Amino acid sequence: MKPLLGTFYILGMLVPGGLGYDRSLAQHRQEVVDETVSPRRSLETYSYNRYHPMEEVYQWMSQIREKYTEVVTQHFLGMTYESRPMYCLKISQPSDNPKKIIWMDCGIHAREWIAPAFCQWFVKEILQNYKDNSRIRRLLKNLDFYVLPVLNIDGYIYTWTTDRLWRKSRSSHNNGTCFGTDLNRNFNASWCSIGASHNCQELTFCGTGPVSEPETKAVSSFIESKKENIVCFLTMHSYGQLILLPYGYTTNKPSNHEELIQVGQKAANALKAKHGTNYRVGSSADILYATSGSSRDWAWDIGIPFSYTFELRDNGTYGFVLPEAQIQATCEEAMEAVLSVLDDVYEKYWHSNSAEKATSTAVVLSLLMSFMSLL
Amino acid sequence: MQPLRQPLPASRRGNPLPAAPLLALLLLLLALQEAAGAPAGSGGPEDSGWRQDTELPRQLLSQAARVALHFFNFRAGSPSALRMLAEVQESRAWINQKKERKVDLVFTTELYNPEEGNKRLGKCSARVFFRNEKPRPAVNVTCAQLIEKKKRHEEDYQLYKRMKQLQNPVDVVSIPDNHGHIDPSLKPIWDLAFLGSSYVMWEKTTQFLHYYMAQLSRVKQWKTNDDAIDFGYTVLLHEFSTQEIIPCHIHLVWYPGKPLKVKYHCQEVQTPEEASGTEEGSAVAPTELSNF
Repeated sequence: MKPLLGTFYILGMLVPGGLGYDRSLAQHRQEVVDETVSPRRSLETYSYNRYHPMEEVYQWMSQIREKYTEVVTQHFLGMTYESRPMYCLKISQPSDNPKKIIWMDCGIHAREWIAPAFCQWFVKEILQNYKDNSRIRRLLKNLDFYVLPVLNIDGYIYTWTTDRLWRKSRSSHNNGTCFGTDLNRNFNASWCSIGASHNCQELTFCGTGPVSEPETKAVSSFIESKKENIVCFLTMHSYGQLILLPYGYTTNKPSNHEELIQVGQKAANALKAKHGTNYRVGSSADILYATSGSSRDWAWDIGIPFSYTFELRDNGTYGFVLPEAQIQATCEEAMEAVLSVLDDVYEKYWHSNSAEKATSTAVVLSLLMSFMSLL
Repeated sequence: MQPLRQPLPASRRGNPLPAAPLLALLLLLLALQEAAGAPAGSGGPEDSGWRQDTELPRQLLSQAARVALHFFNFRAGSPSALRMLAEVQESRAWINQKKERKVDLVFTTELYNPEEGNKRLGKCSARVFFRNEKPRPAVNVTCAQLIEKKKRHEEDYQLYKRMKQLQNPVDVVSIPDNHGHIDPSLKPIWDLAFLGSSYVMWEKTTQFLHYYMAQLSRVKQWKTNDDAIDFGYTVLLHEFSTQEIIPCHIHLVWYPGKPLKVKYHCQEVQTPEEASGTEEGSAVAPTELSNF
């Protein structure tokens, strides 16, 4: 094999078969090969308009942590099947205010490269702007962001080294004859009841049991431990241009369905205003297809009120292999959508208007009561 | 009370209502039922018990539009004038006892290769007939002309010339590459591959399965002679909703203005009952129709 990145093995990424690129796939991308051979790049030259292999994402996370040390900490979630560390970044403005949590994960499906690109974009936007952008500053007053840039690390690496269209994890089954669980069918939400398969050969293989996979366990335990404070769970995918609400495993609607639709539609409108792109909003079972064991459904079921799946660009023209030339526009518009959701979440829990409304409603009610008592 | 749908006998016991107005009402009801069940404005298959399908999932509408477009693109045989779906504007769907579905659609299209600064929308209407789980839906589609016929021929011919000038691209492995990049000189290959794949995607589509072209994974053979481009390639199709990637080996022969010839076989590697299988098909597009 062709080990190109000796220095990055420090992080324990020894993989059976090595991390080298398959040269024939990199024919047209000679400059990418050269980039990865070059020494440790600085954050200033990190391009958010390119796709980055996992080694660069790990490096980027450390550099972000170093540069924005006043607000960023890195948290260990667990190890992947192939023994790689899973880290998320926490962005938190130190204060005495009680905080609620926004969770975002990307890349649960390996081939959906635009998703990890968006997570990195999101972090960059927040950190580059939180000091002088009043909208972001307001959000950080009471919200902490936890961002997991790549959930399915083993699978993501596999799409760089071996099979660009791989979807699942890289766990081994049936005596090493079959690989990978669909991590988004492995959560404990009506596990494997519909839209998933017990057959490892299939791409919607739900695993050997709910939360059977180390990646799922890592995320579940972490979220579970903080669930009282998590108000928003966002999981980023591609493609399809959709904003999906629970449920996938039933056509029944969650109790706050109307609110979720409203917030989702407002986000889609904000997204469209940016570059004219159309995203559709609806419950997964209604506008996509039935699925069980998804992280979004599980998050809602354990009590997280705002739980959405985003399916980013495009609509099938390039699908998973979205051109790098579209990364910026995709991320810019998705950023508007996410910020719109966060604004709505913020309004719901902290905006003074809701306090005023409550007060005035109480006044009206008591007036009404006293009036009625006179009759 | 006797159900109104039963034909009323001329004289019956105990019925307080006069027979004549009731019969008129019955006839009216039957007429209304038939009007609701019949396809609008055409003489489609009136029997087989078609009833309006109001529960049709929104997703199936865009699938129907897409498969109509695959068929349209294949029949047009024009890699420079490929169309993609913009928006479904009107639709009506029927379902019968055999769970077959019929969908009438009006939708807008964009050019796959838009002209600079000109994103015109074309309008199409189609009827798509899904035969439950069976593939190869029957498609009847007409589209308003988006590009003048002469211009389209000219652009196809330019594309043909550019392809002839390409070196035999045996080194090309993936189009687009893994970062989504297509070298401009290779774009004609992608367009021609998409044209051939349209035929395959149309044939394989069912009510429950539909396809997108994920990547061109191999260009196998490439011959140009004076008459045609003879093109063999492997395309990876993304199958919904199984999420599978289906490799299909396609061989097509194309010359601008002439009917497209396609042969293919796809590997179905994931079916639980069989270890593997292949699916084959071939076609020659009919000679150009004058409706576009």
